[in-house]
Amino acid sequence: MYRLLGRGEISAVHTAAMEVLERIGVVIQHDAALKKLADAGATVDDKTKVVKIPEYMVHDALQKSPRRHKLIARNPKYNIVIGDGDSYFTNAFGAHYTIDLETGERRLSTIKDLEEFTLLADYFQTVDYIKPNILPQDVPKSVWEQEMALAMFKSAEKHLSLVALTPEGWRDVIEMAKIYAGGEDEFIKNPSIIDTGFNNVPPLKYTREIIDMVLECAKYRIPFDISTGLLSSASGPVTLAGTIVQGIAENHAIVVLAQLIGPGTPIMWGSCATILDQRYGTAAYGSPENGLIHAAFCQMAHYYGLPYYGAAGVIDSKVPDQQAAYENTMNVLLATVSGADVVHDAVYGIVEAGVTASYEMFAISNDICGAIKRISKGIQVTPETLAVDIIETVGHEKNHLNTPEALKFTKKHLLEEQWQPLISNRTSRPEWEKRGSKTIEDVAREKVKEILLTHKIEPLDKKMESAMRKLIEDRTKKTKSN
Amino acid sequence: MESMIFEELQNAVIEGDSEKSVSLAKNALEAGIPPLDVITNGLAKGVKTVGDLFSEGQVFLVELILAGDAMKAGMSVLLPVIKESKAEMISAGKVMIGTVQGDIHSIGKDIVGTLLEADGFEVLNVGEDVQSETFMEKVKEHKPDVLGLSSLLTVTMPAQKDVIEKLKASGLRGDVKVIVGGAPTTQEWADEIGADGWAGDAVSAVSLVKQLIKG
Ligand code: B1M
Repeated sequence: MYRLLGRGEISAVHTAAMEVLERIGVVIQHDAALKKLADAGATVDDKTKVVKIPEYMVHDALQKSPRRHKLIARNPKYNIVIGDGDSYFTNAFGAHYTIDLETGERRLSTIKDLEEFTLLADYFQTVDYIKPNILPQDVPKSVWEQEMALAMFKSAEKHLSLVALTPEGWRDVIEMAKIYAGGEDEFIKNPSIIDTGFNNVPPLKYTREIIDMVLECAKYRIPFDISTGLLSSASGPVTLAGTIVQGIAENHAIVVLAQLIGPGTPIMWGSCATILDQRYGTAAYGSPENGLIHAAFCQMAHYYGLPYYGAAGVIDSKVPDQQAAYENTMNVLLATVSGADVVHDAVYGIVEAGVTASYEMFAISNDICGAIKRISKGIQVTPETLAVDIIETVGHEKNHLNTPEALKFTKKHLLEEQWQPLISNRTSRPEWEKRGSKTIEDVAREKVKEILLTHKIEPLDKKMESAMRKLIEDRTKKTKSN
Repeated sequence: MESMIFEELQNAVIEGDSEKSVSLAKNALEAGIPPLDVITNGLAKGVKTVGDLFSEGQVFLVELILAGDAMKAGMSVLLPVIKESKAEMISAGKVMIGTVQGDIHSIGKDIVGTLLEADGFEVLNVGEDVQSETFMEKVKEHKPDVLGLSSLLTVTMPAQKDVIEKLKASGLRGDVKVIVGGAPTTQEWADEIGADGWAGDAVSAVSLVKQLIKG
């Protein structure tokens, strides 16, 4: 495990973050939330909406915030426990454009893209739970979150993290989740059948809408991730240490609020912060600084006893090329070896930092993330794996391909020792030439097409689907009549 | 003498040294140099240099912003004198810029504003999550040559259209050029909603504004 910060440094970062929370405070543009915080001991300025939170409130909240929690899937074999020591990976979030799989053209994203990316995420072993990879442009905005939720419910058996953009839309999605869970009672018992995520507005601010949706989650104890979105040298300090300090203050404000409203609400505490490139004025995600931010944040999360959620694998490159691959590799690897509980944006089917989806990149990143998961599994050291007996049996003249005992041994351990890539090329050169001398991008495209044709999931219950459809239609009617 | 002060002023701006810029501007006035010349040949030239270098990726954003601040500091000495003498200030043009309703992304829009200032435009940055009505009021009040609308979210792009529609409805559309930008927007979108232009980054936003004001 990689540990970037020493003990003294962790303690210094913590002290600084508490000072920011207590002395500088955070803006929360939501009167009911401010009242709740004031009643619990915070100092609130009604005019500026700045809330200053004393350290003891943070400690109270951390006591109530689960160290680990389940995310439930439609198919129980995909249930996972966040915070159990493994790093769980999600796919990318939120592309407005898509590079068309057939024509290679960059065009507006569609609901069909969302279904297809979700189906691919269901297929790819590296994706442990699924984020909306696509923001479709061909469905009405009045029922946007709802249409997206339905498309995802239909296209995967794994746990789904749904998008919360507006309080109204999010309430409808919760109603749909109740249908998905098999009824209101079931949902109340198992609200972690879905989850969602929020960002703040750096520096040190939350809007009314975000708080509204956070409160809705806390009410039901729906798990959510909260991650600071600051850009170092723009909406936060240029120093990475200062970036962490500000981010902790921002995230903690939400932990305190959520645990006051709904004690025990599972929170994945994290970062989608990175640096602003000062030469081009762009957000640079594929930067080494981004990786360092995750490494440090992750240690702080664990210091607080919270699961860490890091948006680590984001790609700045505009096409699925060499740059895309090394950016994705570098930061997913660093976040993983730092012990991130969730590596969000890991299996990254997007290029251009969140803007344009790429089917090819999704398959390439699946291989990258598969390799990283293998690295994270490490080496198993037991009397058996040390293999002295087999080394002796093979001796000096034979090898492991011509000794029966060794062959048996290899067969027994192969799958747990060696990871098998889905598309990376490892053939001989003549073989590679014989198969058309294809680049990884070509192979990825073919593989994606094949999966989309052949991967089948258990369809969503027809009754559930039509109940959800009806909910969307009702909302459409209501919007029209307004 | 004059050319030396101009050069020093340019350097003060290039170095982002506001204090030096103020004291040099005072010196220039005392030496009897017309304040408009001090701006054109001194302060503005310095900022232009930094702006051009930024476009080429040769200087950092922070240096550009500091240069802009140094120019403004120097201007604060000169402007009162210009007003008194009733000389015409030649600004490259007035640009109002803001992020549309429902959208809090601020950084891209701020960078566009900074670069426009560096190129001599008067910039009114009206902030984020700005309601269409507020844009109307501010356009009436300040009469900018160009209105820049930034949107980073799919759900807030329609607000760019809304502002244009409202400008039309209130008869203001003819008085102001409208440009749009932000990660998910495109030239096609700008055409569709009847904007006068689109820019994909801050450097092209400056060329676009120049072109629109000239035309
Ligand atoms: C008028 O003329 C012009 C001309 C040119 C113009 C122009 C105007 N405006 C911009 N330009 C152009 O010139 C600028 C300089 O070159 C450029 O500006 P940009 O703004 O593009 O570039 C900046 C200099 C740097 N870039 C940025 O600042 C944006 C970077 C990304 C990562 C981003 C950030 C940082 C943030 N975010 Co947000 N965010 C993303 C962005 C992903 C991306 N790759 O763009 C995007 C835009 N965000 C997104 C989302 C979904 C969200 N964000 C949200 C919040 C935030 C933060 C607060 C965390 C933070 C913003 C901090 C701030 N104070 O601004 C939320 C929005 C809340 C709201 N109501 O607005 C939230 C809804 C997330 C949530 N669930 O809470 C996605 C939008 C998807 C979509 N198409 O709708 C997104 C593409 C990332 C993603 N895939 O998730 C050009 O576009």
